[in-house]
Amino acid sequence: MSTTMEGRDLKFPVYVWEAPVRLWHWTMALAMLVLWGTGYFIGSPLPSVPGEASESYLMGYIRFAHFAAGYIFAVAFLLRVYWAIVGNRHAREIFLVPLYMLRPAWWRSFFRVVAHYLFIRPRNDWHQGHNQLAMAAMFGMYVLGAVFMIVTGFALYGEGTLAGSWANRYFTSWVLPLLGQSQAVHTWHHLCAWYLFWFTIVHLYFVIREDITSGLTVVSSMISGWRDIKN
Amino acid sequence: MSVIETQGFKLDNSGKRVVVDPICRIEGHLRIECNVDAKGKITNAVSTGTMWRGLEVILKGRDPRDAWAFTERICGVCTGVHALASVRSVEDALGIAIPDTANIIRNLMHATLYAQDHLVHFYHLHALDWVDVVSALKADPKKTSELAQSISGWPNSSPGYFRDLAVRLTKFVESGQLGPFRNGYWGHPDYKLPPEANLMAVAHYLEALDFQKEIVKIQTIFGGKNPHPNWLVGGVPCSINVDRAGAVGAINMERLNMVGKIIDDTIDFIDNVYIPDLLAIASFYKHWGAIGNGLASTNLLSYGEFPDIANDQSNKSLLMPRGAILAGDLKNIHAVDLKDPAQIQEFVAHSWYKYADETKGLHPWDGVTEPHFELGKGTKGSKTDIREIDESAKYSWVKSPRFKGQPVEVGPLARYVIGYAMGNPEFKEPVDMVLRKLDVPLPAIFSTLGRTAARGLEASWAAHKMKYFYGKLMANIKAGKLDTANVDKWEPATWDKEAKGAGFCEAPRGALGHWIRIKDTKIANYQCIVPTTWNAGPRDHKNQIGAYEASLMNTPMAKPEHPLEILRTIHSFDPCLACASHVISPDGQELAQVQVR
Amino acid sequence: MSDTFYDVLRRQGISRRSFLKFCSLTTASLGLSPTVAPQIAHALETKPRTPVIWIEGLECTCCSESFIRSAHPLAKDAVLSLLSLDYHMTLAAAAGEQLHENALHTIEKYKGNYILAIEGNPPLNEDGMYCIYYGKPFVEAVKHYAKDAKAVIAWGSCASWGCVQAAKPNPTNAVPIDKVITDKPIIKVPGCPPIAEVMSAIVTYVLTFDRLPELDRQGRPKMFYSQRIHDKCYRRPHFDAGQFVEKWDDEGARAGLCLYKMGCKGPTTYNACSTTRWNEGVSFPIQSGHGCIGCSEDGFWDKGSFYDRLTTIPAFGIEANADKVGAVAAGVVGAAVVAHAAVTAIKKASEKGSGAKVEEK
Repeated sequence: MSTTMEGRDLKFPVYVWEAPVRLWHWTMALAMLVLWGTGYFIGSPLPSVPGEASESYLMGYIRFAHFAAGYIFAVAFLLRVYWAIVGNRHAREIFLVPLYMLRPAWWRSFFRVVAHYLFIRPRNDWHQGHNQLAMAAMFGMYVLGAVFMIVTGFALYGEGTLAGSWANRYFTSWVLPLLGQSQAVHTWHHLCAWYLFWFTIVHLYFVIREDITSGLTVVSSMISGWRDIKN
Repeated sequence: MSVIETQGFKLDNSGKRVVVDPICRIEGHLRIECNVDAKGKITNAVSTGTMWRGLEVILKGRDPRDAWAFTERICGVCTGVHALASVRSVEDALGIAIPDTANIIRNLMHATLYAQDHLVHFYHLHALDWVDVVSALKADPKKTSELAQSISGWPNSSPGYFRDLAVRLTKFVESGQLGPFRNGYWGHPDYKLPPEANLMAVAHYLEALDFQKEIVKIQTIFGGKNPHPNWLVGGVPCSINVDRAGAVGAINMERLNMVGKIIDDTIDFIDNVYIPDLLAIASFYKHWGAIGNGLASTNLLSYGEFPDIANDQSNKSLLMPRGAILAGDLKNIHAVDLKDPAQIQEFVAHSWYKYADETKGLHPWDGVTEPHFELGKGTKGSKTDIREIDESAKYSWVKSPRFKGQPVEVGPLARYVIGYAMGNPEFKEPVDMVLRKLDVPLPAIFSTLGRTAARGLEASWAAHKMKYFYGKLMANIKAGKLDTANVDKWEPATWDKEAKGAGFCEAPRGALGHWIRIKDTKIANYQCIVPTTWNAGPRDHKNQIGAYEASLMNTPMAKPEHPLEILRTIHSFDPCLACASHVISPDGQELAQVQVR
Repeated sequence: MSDTFYDVLRRQGISRRSFLKFCSLTTASLGLSPTVAPQIAHALETKPRTPVIWIEGLECTCCSESFIRSAHPLAKDAVLSLLSLDYHMTLAAAAGEQLHENALHTIEKYKGNYILAIEGNPPLNEDGMYCIYYGKPFVEAVKHYAKDAKAVIAWGSCASWGCVQAAKPNPTNAVPIDKVITDKPIIKVPGCPPIAEVMSAIVTYVLTFDRLPELDRQGRPKMFYSQRIHDKCYRRPHFDAGQFVEKWDDEGARAGLCLYKMGCKGPTTYNACSTTRWNEGVSFPIQSGHGCIGCSEDGFWDKGSFYDRLTTIPAFGIEANADKVGAVAAGVVGAAVVAHAAVTAIKKASEKGSGAKVEEK
C-alpha cells in the first residue's frame, strides 16, 4: 500500500505476522536446529559406543530425532502454506515472488534495496512486510530449499519404511529414479541442508541489521506480530 | 598376396580364407582368420581382438584404493586376478607390507580360482572340442561304467547312472531343441573318442558344472561373493575371530571348517575326475602332441605366483617360479623384472592405437595410447561390416607386448616348462608322469595337447596347495597371528606426493602385470598387460607373430568350413579377451590427443 | 534331458496329483471351465522349452559365470531342462558361422516367442566398432535380435545401467540397452554380477508363470530389488546402537560391527545380498568384512571412493564432499556477513558524525 517508494507514509504500527506465522517461524527454526545437528551425525557418526548392541540405540535415537524434527518441519511448512491462503497479505509474500517478478515496479523496488545493501543508497525503504530482496531470498532459498528438503527427506525416509509405506509410494518411488539413485539423493539432501544453513546466516544478519538501522522493529515483530517505528 | 618369413614360419595368405567370428567358449570377443592351402593346412593366421573398453582411461584421477574393484571388472571369469595385481601395485607404490596371515588368505583365494577356473575351462570351455555329444548316444552304459571304473574310483560310475544319463540325453536330442549343443561339429572326422568315453565325459561335464560352484565358496567366505569378491589394499577385508564375542561376524571355526571341507572335495574331484578324464581323453588324441606348438618350444614367460613368504617376490618365496625362456634355451632361465623398461614393452604397429614412432615399444609406466580404428586397404567389406580383415595394416584392439623384444607364450604350459627346466620336482614329476602314461616324448608337451595337459596338472597342484595354505592359516591362528590388514598407510595423508608401483599376478591364463603412478593421492597413470595380450596380440613392427597366430600355423584342417582344429588350439590357451583389450591414456580426457611421458 | 515343465516339477518332488491340482486351480483362477484343466495339464506336459538367445557385448562375463553358480535350480537343470539356451557364446559348442546360424534359426522359428538376454552393453562411439560382432558393430546385433523377442532381460549392471565401461569419462560411449531397445519389455537385473539364484529365479519366474515379474519404475523385479541391503543387514543392530568398525581389522571388525564408517553402501543399495546372500547363501560382502560397494546401483562407480561415507563432489576439488563444501561455503558466507556488518557500522558512524541530516530527509 506504499504510495511513495520510500514508504515513509506507510501506516505503523501494523499487525504483520499473525500468530500462526509466528508459531510456524519458531517451530521451524527449532526443527532446523535439530535437523542440522542430527543430520550431520547421521552422515559422520560419533565414535563407536562400547558394549552390547542391545544396550544402546544411539544412531537409532539420532535418526529418530531427525525424522521427528523432519515431520515437524514438514507439517509446519504445510500449515504455513495453508496460512498463506487464509492469512493476511504478508503471509503470502514469500510464496508469490514469481508472480511479483512479472511487475516492473517490483523490480524497481528490488534494485533500490540492492543499492542500499551495496551502500549506494544510504537509507533503506520502509516496508510493512519483507523488502523485495528479502522476499526473493525467502522464496529462492527458504521456500524452494524447504520443498526440496521435504521431498528428498521423505524419499530417504521412505527407503527405510519400505515399499507400501506412504513415504515410499509418494516420494521414494519417483525421487530416486529422478536423481539417479539413493546415494545421489543423500548427497543432494546433504548439500541442500548446507544451502539452508547459508540462508540462515544471511537471514540472521539482515534481520539484526535491519532492526538496528532501519528504524522499524524487526526481531521483536516475529514475537509480538506488530511492526512499529522505533522511537 | 604375399609371403612373410618370421620366426621360422612362412606366412602365406594366398590360400582360401577361413573366418571364425566369434570364437565361442571364451571370455570376450575374438575373431580368427586363417588361410588354408589346397590340402587344408593353415598357412597364415590372424588374431583380432574385437572389443575395447578403455578401463585405464576411466581409472585416471580415482582413489588408488578403489582401483582393485575397477580392474577386477576387467574379467569375471578369472575373477580376482586383476584385483590382486592391483592391490599389489598400490602396495608396491606406497611401500605397504601385508601381514603374513593376509598373504596366506590371498594365496588361498587365488589357488581357489586356479582350481575352479581350470576345471570350468576343461569341461565347459574346452571339452566339446574333444568330446562328441551326439556320439555319446550310441554308448553302452555298462561298458561306460566299466571304462569309468577302470580309470578312477569316483563313485558315480554305476551302469544305472550312465543309463539314466543316456536316456535323458536321448530325449534331449530327440526333442530337437539342442540348445548350446546345436550346430556343434558332431561327427567331424577328428572326434576320436569311442561312444563310451563320450558318454562318460558328458556325465562329468554335468557333474563339473554342479561342482565348480562349490569351489568358489572359499572366495565367498573370505571375499563376500563370487564372481568378483572383495579385496583390500594392505591385506584382506575379512577379520579372524575364533575366540571371543562377535565371532559370528568374522572368520570363525565354522567358516574355517567349511573351507577345509571344500578343499578336500576339490582335491577329490580334480584328482579322481578331472585328471583321469584328461589322461583318458588325451590318450585318443596323442597326434595333437605335434600340433599347435607355436611359441611353446621357444619363448615362454612367467611372473611366478604364490609368495610363501609375505611381501617377498623372489624365487625363494614364490611357489610357482618366475622366469623366462627365450629361443628354446631351457638351460638359461632369464630373470624377470617388471620394472625394467628394457624387458617389457608394448608395440602397436598392428593394433588400433597410434604411437609417434611405431617401430618403438614402450614400457607400461611410460605407455602412450591413442585409439585409432583404421582398416587396411586390403580389407574386404566396409568399416562396419568386415568380411576379411587386412593384416598388413592395423587389425586388432589388442596390443603386442614383447619381452626383450620377443613375443612369448604365457599360461600353464609356460609355467610348467619353466618349472620343469628349473628342475623343480613339483612340476617335473607330474609332467614326466603324463609323458609316461601317454607314452609320448618330451617335445609332445609343446603343443595344444601339452597346454591342456599342463592346465590339468596345475589344477591338481593348486588344489593341493589350497590344503597347504589352509594348514598354514590354521597354524597362524593357533599361534595367535590374527592380523589381516596393515592400515599404517591407509589414510592418503600418509602417502608420498608421487609414487609408482608394479603389481604382478600369475593368473590362471598367464603373466599379468599392473603398473600404477600415483600423484597427489590420485591415480595419474594406470596400465595393465594381461595374459591374453601376450598370447592373442597381433604382429609387431617386425611382423613377428604372437602365440595364437604361431600356434595355428601348419595345422591340418579336415573340413576348413568346420573350424574344429582352430577351436582346439585357441581354446588350449583359454582366451580372455575382455582382459586383453584395454588401453591406458594418462591424459585421460581427450582420447584423440593423448600425449604421455 | 528334454524335459517339459511337468518333468521338472516331478523331479522337484511334486506329485502328479499336486500337478493336476495346480492345473485345476490355474483353470479356476483364469475363470475357465473345469473341463479345460486337462488341456492345461497337457500343455504344460508337452510345452517346448522357451528358447533363450544370450548375447554379450562390452562386459566381463561375470554374469554368465554367476548364472552357472546357481544352486536352485542348478544351472545344469536350468540350461538343460527349463529353457533352451540356443545361443550363448560362453557355452555353445558351435563357433563363427555355425553359431550365427543358431541365432538366426531361433529368431526365425520362434519369432516373438524367444527371450533375449543381454550381458554387457553396446558402445556407440567409433560407429560401434569398439565391440565387433561378426565383423559388425555389436549394437546391430542387439537391435536385430531384439526385434522379434518376446521380452528382453538385461543381465547385470552393464546392460542395466552401463557399469564400469560407462564410468566417467565413458570413452567408448557405452550405453545401457534400454537406450537402444525401446519397444520391448526389459527386465533389468542389476548387480556386478547379479546373485546367481536371483538370476535363475527371474528366469524360472518368467517360464513358470508365463509372465514378467512385477517391475519397479526403473525396470527391476520388485521381489529382489525393492529393499536396501541395509534394511535386512544382520549388522543393522550395531548401526542403530552406534557401533562401528573404525579401522580395518580393528576390534570392531573382529566383532562384526557395522561397516558404515568404512564406506559401506548398504544403506543406499537395492539388492538381495543381505537376504538371499551369495553362492548358495554362504556369505555376502558385509558378512565377510568389506562394505558393500553398491554394485547394483546406477552409476555406482562415480559416487566417490568406495571407502568414503559421503560422496566426493569432483566439481569442488578432489577431496570435497557435501560437508566440506557446505562448511567452506558457510565460512565464506559468514565472512561476507562480517565484512558487510563492518562497512555498515563504519557508514553509520560517519553518518552520525555528519549530523542528523539523513534522518530529516
